Amino acid sequence: MVLRMKEKLQQISEFEWFLSKEVRDRMRVSAKIIANKTILNAIEDDAVQQLTNVACLPGVVEPVIGLPDMHWGYGLPMGAVGAFDAEEGVISAGMCGFDINCGINLIRTNLTYKDVKPKIRELISELFKAVPCGVGARGKLKLTREELDEVLERGVDWALEKGYVVEKDVEATEEHGRMEGADPSKVSDLAKKRGAAQLGTLGAGNHFLEVQRVTDIFDEAFAKKYGIVDKDQVTIMIHCGSRGLGHQVATDYLKIQEQAVKKYNIWLPDRQLACAPVNSKEGQDFFAAMKAAVNFSFTNKAVMTGWIRETFEKVFGHSWEDMDMHTVYAIAHNIVKLEEHVVNGKKRKLYVHRKGATRSFPDVPVIIAGSMGTSSYLLKGTETAMKKTFGSSAHGAGRAMSRNAAIKKFWGGKIKEELLEKGIVSQSTHPKILAEEAPKAYKDVEAVVDSVHGAGVSLKVARMVPVGVVKG
Amino acid sequence: MFEAYGQDLKEVFENAAEALFNVICQIDKIEPKQEIEITVNGRNSEDLMFNWLQELILIVDTENMFFSKFEIKEIKEDGTYLKAVCYGEPASPEKGGTLVKAVTYYKFKLEKTKGGYKVRVALDI
Repeated sequence: MVLRMKEKLQQISEFEWFLSKEVRDRMRVSAKIIANKTILNAIEDDAVQQLTNVACLPGVVEPVIGLPDMHWGYGLPMGAVGAFDAEEGVISAGMCGFDINCGINLIRTNLTYKDVKPKIRELISELFKAVPCGVGARGKLKLTREELDEVLERGVDWALEKGYVVEKDVEATEEHGRMEGADPSKVSDLAKKRGAAQLGTLGAGNHFLEVQRVTDIFDEAFAKKYGIVDKDQVTIMIHCGSRGLGHQVATDYLKIQEQAVKKYNIWLPDRQLACAPVNSKEGQDFFAAMKAAVNFSFTNKAVMTGWIRETFEKVFGHSWEDMDMHTVYAIAHNIVKLEEHVVNGKKRKLYVHRKGATRSFPDVPVIIAGSMGTSSYLLKGTETAMKKTFGSSAHGAGRAMSRNAAIKKFWGGKIKEELLEKGIVSQSTHPKILAEEAPKAYKDVEAVVDSVHGAGVSLKVARMVPVGVVKG
Repeated sequence: MFEAYGQDLKEVFENAAEALFNVICQIDKIEPKQEIEITVNGRNSEDLMFNWLQELILIVDTENMFFSKFEIKEIKEDGTYLKAVCYGEPASPEKGGTLVKAVTYYKFKLEKTKGGYKVRVALDI
């Protein structure tokens, strides 16, 4: 009988589980999972197995991390972090994620739910028109090649110049919305062709635009710093990534890295962990292209921010500044960063791959988005996260059910009713979309947040629930 | 994930494309009004299949079209080249399905069977 990987986990605290490097052959380092017992019981054994695979790669730094929203993914699970030495390590497109810089922008308003409720249907309908979404949706912007290259290199600075956002939005964005060292020439023509017409589009799948209201404030002082002061305050959340451009960059470099594995003689326990040595041409080319896709994604959300503000102005008749519609924070959750961390008392430069995982740095906002119809959270990062998870936290509620299974079990029309019963107005391009993203298809976000809070990795600041949803 | 079959290479490639678009859009609603010719290269037939599907995912975005019918006009037995015509119509979200980000290598396999060929594909959605 094969011993399942989960059975080899040792619980080291209420929210931490340890997998020693002795559990299988060729593991260089240990792995660790942050989760409460309920979550741990729901994590698939295959996903735990995947953590041990990553622990076999060259230059991997202890521990490989699984977060409470972890689920099986391409090579590295979604909801996981793999850190690699900046000299001896590897960098991988699969460990970054196909949707490079899929991330979340949280925007506040000074409106309350009482102000918004009478106009919610009109608001959602106008937002649906303002922000193209769905498979096959036409974008409103068609960039020339030169403009696109500018976006890839300069990120949100481009959106600032064009008036979609203001300086404060840039400051409230991870990396200030622009990773230095992005190289548009490392992004293929194919990727650019896909991306040129997609700037300012929401996409589909688990991407969404939500109008929310605050239900709880757990840390008043921190929340106030970011303009969250009232229960029933209305906020807006955009969950979206780098669209076809990012997907193509990931695909292109996956192919290149498959060849690099042979060229540099890297042993892989799993073909999907294709990678390249960090300082090889293949490695650095990917890093530079990834940064360009990151910048594209930040800009994408910045453009939508501008349109969302315009829509609110149209519906409520006040300027967005008067409605205090400022960005609370904008985070990335499929990304590779070169960061300095303290490992065993020594400062080391590491390539930190966060796949379905967010940065969680001391006193910096963290956003965990629930699935459709469930709550989302604003949290803050901690020193504990720096020690335990390379400054990382969960990004959302991981999928509990495959998309096809979700469609078979849940028919979209019924879900629209269920959402309405909860007081949530939704609009999607067709019913199947709602079915795929049915809340029951995801793990419980409350348990995910409970786990990261309990482990001290990110601490709860505020909780929001949706009152309106736009989905593709 | 899907499996597609064919009596020969031509058929398995055509059926794989149909299976892909069955995910991307509501294929029954797509009329073969417009056509696009594409050519694809590969190192071998399995690599060609990967590139073929990846190219189809790409042209959804670049041409903003959904396709429902595929004709492989020419395909080399060694898998280094194919030419195809794809028939469809302009994409619209109302006829859309699931957003496919890419083809993955997870359990990806094109193999000869008793009846011809079979391919297994896992999509990143």
